[in-house]
Amino acid sequence: MLTYIYDGSFEGILTAVFEAFSRKQVPDAILSEHGLQQDITSSYIFIDTDCAKSDRVYNSIWRNISEDALKNCYHAFLSEDPQAGTLIYRYLKLGWRMGSRVDLHLSDNTVFNMMSINRKLEFEVHRLTGFVRFRQVEGGIFYSTISPDNNVVELLAPHFAERLSDQPWIIHDIKREIAALYNTKTWIVSEFSADDIPLSTEDEKLYSVLWKQFFKTLSIPSRENPKLQRQLLPRRYWDHLTEKW
Amino acid sequence: MGDYMELMDKLKVLADSAKYDVSCVSSGSSRKNKPGGIGSSMPAGICHTFSGDGRCISLLKILMSNCCIYDCAYCVNRISNDLPRTAFTPDEIADLTINFYRRNYIEGLFLSSAVVKSPDHTMELIIRVVRRLREDYRFNGYIHIKAIPGADAALIEEAGSYVDRMSVNIELPTSDGLRLLAPQKKKEAILGPMGFISSKINETSDNKRRFRNSPEFVPAGQSTQLIVGATEDHDLGILKLSEGLYKRFGMRRVFYSAYVPVSNHPALPQAVKPPLLREHRIYQADWLLRFYGFKAEELLDESHKDFDTQLDPKCDWALRNLEQFPIEVNKADYFLLLRVPGIGVRSAQRIVKARMVQKLDFADIKKLGVVLKRARFFITCKGKYIDKLDASEDFIRINILAGSKQPPMVEPGYTQLSFLPPSNQAMLQGLRPWMALSAPTGEDVAASMTGEL
Ligand code: SF4
Repeated sequence: MLTYIYDGSFEGILTAVFEAFSRKQVPDAILSEHGLQQDITSSYIFIDTDCAKSDRVYNSIWRNISEDALKNCYHAFLSEDPQAGTLIYRYLKLGWRMGSRVDLHLSDNTVFNMMSINRKLEFEVHRLTGFVRFRQVEGGIFYSTISPDNNVVELLAPHFAERLSDQPWIIHDIKREIAALYNTKTWIVSEFSADDIPLSTEDEKLYSVLWKQFFKTLSIPSRENPKLQRQLLPRRYWDHLTEKW
Repeated sequence: MGDYMELMDKLKVLADSAKYDVSCVSSGSSRKNKPGGIGSSMPAGICHTFSGDGRCISLLKILMSNCCIYDCAYCVNRISNDLPRTAFTPDEIADLTINFYRRNYIEGLFLSSAVVKSPDHTMELIIRVVRRLREDYRFNGYIHIKAIPGADAALIEEAGSYVDRMSVNIELPTSDGLRLLAPQKKKEAILGPMGFISSKINETSDNKRRFRNSPEFVPAGQSTQLIVGATEDHDLGILKLSEGLYKRFGMRRVFYSAYVPVSNHPALPQAVKPPLLREHRIYQADWLLRFYGFKAEELLDESHKDFDTQLDPKCDWALRNLEQFPIEVNKADYFLLLRVPGIGVRSAQRIVKARMVQKLDFADIKKLGVVLKRARFFITCKGKYIDKLDASEDFIRINILAGSKQPPMVEPGYTQLSFLPPSNQAMLQGLRPWMALSAPTGEDVAASMTGEL
């Protein structure tokens, strides 16, 4: 078993892909150094991230495969799936052979896994565009917390920057301690800790109570179906939903 | 916001009265935000939460008022019912909508109302709300309103220029039912505004083609709702009616609502439980009309007026039409694939894509999401059945029934696949012109509690 280890960044994965080609090696896995468990049967090579190399891979994906392929790889990286590095490497190998038609090979295992990782991530982004709940805190900022399976704050930000463009907001991923911060003009993603969140405003209590009342009222007792509700609104999202507090 | 308790009480009553209208979707519009404004709409719609009965909540769905001058038997708000009466002011509704929206509780507003004083007066109240939202708050989120039957066409036209969707509920599938249960409503009073809205929509899209900046008129189209189980109608009548509505009025959606007894009127069945399975079957059939290219008369006819409770409508159809099978997965066109039980919209789209680069066998199509348990009786791959099997009707029926849990409210796995973001859907649809028949959105799935067939 030959395993490449990268530093946990997207550029790191692309550098590893570059190295595999230039060293004429075929690594069995490309793993992040975070959470790595070494075993004695494998040999490990640590890959130093090199932006000149990762840029070349990046441009070649874009030019020789497709923009979609680039998006697929980046989203696979954001999924934080431990297999993402390996999968991206195998997918790109196919991609450089088949060109932009690679995504049609849906019954190929690599392409299939790539598509399912992407689908899961996109599904979570879509869900969260509905499930994010803001509360207004002192200073007029609208603050929300999430703890998604995939690392998706940066994919959520554009949606809310368009929609809620006239209010400053924060989407705080408490699992990863990062946040998307928006100041009514631009948004950035930065490290963020929960220590200095101001208190909610007075108005806030009013609207959250009204919302809870509305939510309670809507269910039709003779159609009660908690199983279906949990299937569509899984428990792991409930902590952040105003109506479930 | 001093009158907090008052607002709370109003919300309780006016949300409670609105909840039996099941059409809570926010799809079909792509209104963009403008500088200085708030809000936008997503063509695929977004569910913000799910109520205890598993229905998608995406809009603040309330009545303006429940003080009705009419006396429809099936309705809680009928004048003869003893009920606390109340009404929101237009400002209260606009304020609630904006503040819920800023917190991302909702996609927008779904405003309906009992008939206050007169249809025209009610329509005017509704227009005041939507004008306040669009003009004063510069709100670009989703707005769905009810067109009040009997209101002046000019008022309906004015309202339509502000909102994304308008609906007129038919509620009762036949005029007989209407006469019995809603004596003050005439069929014409319902179909009239429907026809008017649909001709305005056509006119607007004609204009749009010629002048880029011509004004909008209900860009997300119109929808309606039918109550299932309050009258004696068969499924056949209901489905034919829906088919007509889709064709004649360019209806975007027909919603079905299993009759929930909220009234003890002597003309109504005193059902204990709403007929949910029946509602589910009709939703499935509605899908077959909208996304699968079926016609109502293929699914039901005079000798077969109601859906089988055990089999979904597509399986039921396939078993009655065995001579049309098997079909070859590598050759059949998209719509033929869709006729196979166990192949849904997603898997058919994937098959069509994947076979462009290779011939598919059973292991491949299983990966693409085909439910072989059902499909295997109806298809061949590279000219062969999956194994030697008896393709008689009885044999297939027994096997399919043995393999299915009753009732499959939402098939696991499907909901996920169907939530493709809009860009992907557009890509899939651009692939082949026939896919323009549109694919179900995530909201379709969540709102109708229907999985892939
Ligand atoms: S007009 Fe509408 S609100 Fe009034 S009784 Fe009839 S259905 Fe109910």
